[in-house]
Amino acid sequence: MTSSGTAPEGRERVNDGARAARLAETLDVAIARLEPARPFAKPRYQRAVLDVTARLLQTEGGLDVIRSRAMQMDAAGLFAGSDWDRPEALLPQLVGTTLMADDPIFVALEAASLARFLAVANGEGRHENLHKDMAVHFLTQVLALNLKDIFGQSDEASRALGDRMVIKRQLLNYISEHIGLTDVLGVLVSEIWRLLEQRSVQVAVAKDMIAQIAIALDQKGTEPGSERLGAERLVSALFGPTVASLDDPGIDVYLDRIAHFDETALSREAMGFARAMHDTGLVSDYHAAFLVWALDYRDRPLVPEALGLGTTGLDCWRHYRRLIEDLIRTAVSPTTPQAAYGLAMLLERGVLHHAPMVPALHRHMQQKVQGDARQRLRLSFGDAVSPEAHLLAGVLQVIGQPLGVGQGANPTCQSARAISMWALIEPDFLLHLISQACEFDTVLMQFEGTQINSADLPAGLAGHGPIDADPVSVLLVSHLDRIYAEMGRLCLGREGDPHRWINPQFHGWWVARDCAVAVDVATGELAGYDRFLRRFFAAYHPHHNGDRPVSHPQPAGIAVTDPNQQFVGWHAIAILRVSADQAGVMRVYFYNPNNDSGQDWGGGVVVSTSGNGERYGEGSLEFGQFLSRVYLFHDDPLRSAEAADAVPDAELPPIHAQAAASWAADRLPQAAPAVVQDKMGTEPPE
Amino acid sequence: MTDKNPDKGYVAILGWSLNAINAIDQFDRRYVVVAPPWAQDYCAQNDIPFVPWDFDRLNERSYELAQQLKEMGVDVAIPIFEETVEWAGAINAVLLNQPRLLGQAMLFRDKSLMKRRAQLGGIRVGVFEEAHDRGDVIRFLKRVNQTLLKLDGDVNDPIHFKAFDKSGTAGHRVIRSPEDVDNIPEDEFPALLESHLDGWEFAVEAWIKNGKIQFLNISEYVTLGYSVFVPATPELEQHRARITEQIEKLIETFEIDFGFIHPEYFLTSDNTLYFGEVAYRPPGFNALELIERAYSFNGYQGLVVAFDPKTTQEELDAFFPTPIEDAKGFAGCFGVYPRRRVVSKLEIPQETADHPYFEFHELADPREQKVAKRSAFGTHWGLAYFFGDDPHQLRDLLKQQEELDYYI
Repeated sequence: MTSSGTAPEGRERVNDGARAARLAETLDVAIARLEPARPFAKPRYQRAVLDVTARLLQTEGGLDVIRSRAMQMDAAGLFAGSDWDRPEALLPQLVGTTLMADDPIFVALEAASLARFLAVANGEGRHENLHKDMAVHFLTQVLALNLKDIFGQSDEASRALGDRMVIKRQLLNYISEHIGLTDVLGVLVSEIWRLLEQRSVQVAVAKDMIAQIAIALDQKGTEPGSERLGAERLVSALFGPTVASLDDPGIDVYLDRIAHFDETALSREAMGFARAMHDTGLVSDYHAAFLVWALDYRDRPLVPEALGLGTTGLDCWRHYRRLIEDLIRTAVSPTTPQAAYGLAMLLERGVLHHAPMVPALHRHMQQKVQGDARQRLRLSFGDAVSPEAHLLAGVLQVIGQPLGVGQGANPTCQSARAISMWALIEPDFLLHLISQACEFDTVLMQFEGTQINSADLPAGLAGHGPIDADPVSVLLVSHLDRIYAEMGRLCLGREGDPHRWINPQFHGWWVARDCAVAVDVATGELAGYDRFLRRFFAAYHPHHNGDRPVSHPQPAGIAVTDPNQQFVGWHAIAILRVSADQAGVMRVYFYNPNNDSGQDWGGGVVVSTSGNGERYGEGSLEFGQFLSRVYLFHDDPLRSAEAADAVPDAELPPIHAQAAASWAADRLPQAAPAVVQDKMGTEPPE
Repeated sequence: MTDKNPDKGYVAILGWSLNAINAIDQFDRRYVVVAPPWAQDYCAQNDIPFVPWDFDRLNERSYELAQQLKEMGVDVAIPIFEETVEWAGAINAVLLNQPRLLGQAMLFRDKSLMKRRAQLGGIRVGVFEEAHDRGDVIRFLKRVNQTLLKLDGDVNDPIHFKAFDKSGTAGHRVIRSPEDVDNIPEDEFPALLESHLDGWEFAVEAWIKNGKIQFLNISEYVTLGYSVFVPATPELEQHRARITEQIEKLIETFEIDFGFIHPEYFLTSDNTLYFGEVAYRPPGFNALELIERAYSFNGYQGLVVAFDPKTTQEELDAFFPTPIEDAKGFAGCFGVYPRRRVVSKLEIPQETADHPYFEFHELADPREQKVAKRSAFGTHWGLAYFFGDDPHQLRDLLKQQEELDYYI
């Protein structure tokens, strides 16, 4: 018999204080058995404690019992031998998933752990590794990350989860009742701002979180304060950025209202929208409706005002007004409001002045999406507007925000990076590929003279292509992915890393033709690593390369590590520029196709996404920290080795040490060069 | 680690039991675990004093182990499992300089010898016989039923088939017909045959020092192989005086000076006590934990007190509580077997989970979808523990569990 056939119909929670009191006694018995147990015997007695805890979770008043015994359970060794034994190292992101685990024992374990945090946060208990502030902060993050489960929005998915969802919701509510939601909003608001600063093309997650905040403000209310202010700024940007939309009246009512406005009032609306959009990168549905409405308002050009254009954008508007109006008419709608921000940024980049762009965009607007590509777009984005409208909106966003392209949950960083780099420096080429894919459902490329036709190739890493990415990626990635794999296949038998040949052929002439790799491909061990480091300095560091800037993005390979410096995998990124930040620290600014660049790679290497001179969508690291994670980069073959030789010896050991402490820990050659070993510090520099 | 008292004895634990080690590590005696070499790393990691030893068959090397323990200063060896009982006898014969302890241990290890010895001591036992092949079994089955004046076609009274040297229900089969006999594998012979006694089966746990009972517990079986609880119901406890007499007879017959015994008895409808068998080691079914739950003393630590030659009577008197009077309640456990042919998950039956007597369980998650067909008594998948004030309610509750699905 399968488990689905016997799924419980959502057990009634026993509304009985007596039951909680009795289980409390049983819990005490179980704790009393656990407490004296020797470390090797703990697991057996932990189970009984968790078994009772799991039943308490289903009992009215049970959470009080668990909380009152939380410190006792911890001291008795409930968490001994598990990750939970080190509360200071627990990750709030994982809590939500554990609370939904199949096995009630895991749910009980997480609940007991949260109860311990709560006891410390409230000052009821003390823990040697857990400070009160840390406990509050942790719980705040847990609540922020699970905000949608705090409020009783019962959707189909959560209903299907039955008991577990009920228990999770009650637990989260219990915590929020005890520590308050004010801090939670603060955490959530800063998290959203952090994401928005990166100006991703895909904003669904951020919008979703803002919607949660709106519900929270509405349902629970909070004390006035800076958190509330920040939260309201986000909510209003999305749901009511202007005077006429402030009360979120609905689009029909809104359009009725502005029909009676005079020019001053309309101009004020336009500027209100533009301000909110450039503030957050988010476009309100009202803004989209306003723009389309403004196309037919002849007395005053409200469009450039509503797009918030600067000098370059205005110049484009004056030159290509007809095209721009057509783009808005086709691409901007309440279903695709973000196209407005993409368009504004596209105009600001001035790319319309690049000769092929205007005809290429005209061509694109006439194009029908055919065959499989059409199906994929409909599958991804639905039928509220046509696949062509979605695709054009995607084109505007990708070209307007090239660094906002993300790979979604797909192993296709190479393809996402390619789309981003083309959008950045060769948008006409990108439009050419899109046109091929739309019309013929294929993409043609060459590899060292060999013709490659993606339609002839078997599905690649991403199968038939992602459906959780932007429209341009949904259209192109399945083709690019296959071509990339085919190029790899054509490199079979060559010695060394195939990216050496693939990257220039795949991306364009502007990828430097020489390639440095930190590891020996056959053994996976570090090989000639010091030379590798020297060459990177000579190629990219302005103090060592004659102050030569990076003109075109350069693909590079990164060894991604987790916050514990453990190797996670190889990852494709693009080096955009190298320059000093406002504090004079030399930094590498790069594009990461991962959806959120702000990552902690361990050992103090934390990728910054704002506040250190980053432009929208850039990640940055100090030069040495960045280099410590690079395993492959492109270099000019014509330049002599002198510059590399001239890099001072002292630059290398700290970088070498950071690599050796992280991704290269088990890749050190058997006979490591003694010189470097001697100089290596054990701790990476702060 | 608890400070150990150098003035008290130094004990060797024969056999690997984490529960025993956990309890004894918390006690005041120095100890060493003697167990197979695979436990070596684990003991090193967990600071458990350890001597590696293969308890395969008792052989001349037992003297070597005894000498090694003697040189370490060990005073006495305590068997934890049936298989280590004769080793403890052999070792204690050396350590305590009492050669007859080995012979005594052999009596505990061979159910046939054990019964004869009991019979010789004037203890009432059922009809029994050794079986060397299937023919012996059929003959015994027939003769027992003839004795009972059964006619051809009447339902046979069952007989019991037990391995000589296994503990608990391992190797225990109930034989009702010649077909049952055919199902006995060749390698289970020789074995002991016993007539079936209709009656109330129960077990006794007795800690003994200086030939005297220091504490006697009666464990009442609800269903053999499924459930047990302590202390027993008043109906059974009213026989305590007679039972104590029987145990004293056992001590005398088997010349037990110290240690721990775990005999089983039948109380038949004519109010006669029949001796079943006796083991010189802790019982299965975590009965010592039930006793601890009811009486708040640790049975393994009780073993150490009873075995250690340096234990004083004052210590014994302080250690053991007064039976019945000192019990806080009644503790029972139920061994869960999957009832369905195919199971996919563990789910405590709602009525059990909601019952105030239910405490917790130690049930394994179903690792295989297919349930092994039970031959003989088999092994349960874990125990569910109960505790309450009313022995009758507890007994009925344990009985009810047999009709419930824990695995679905």
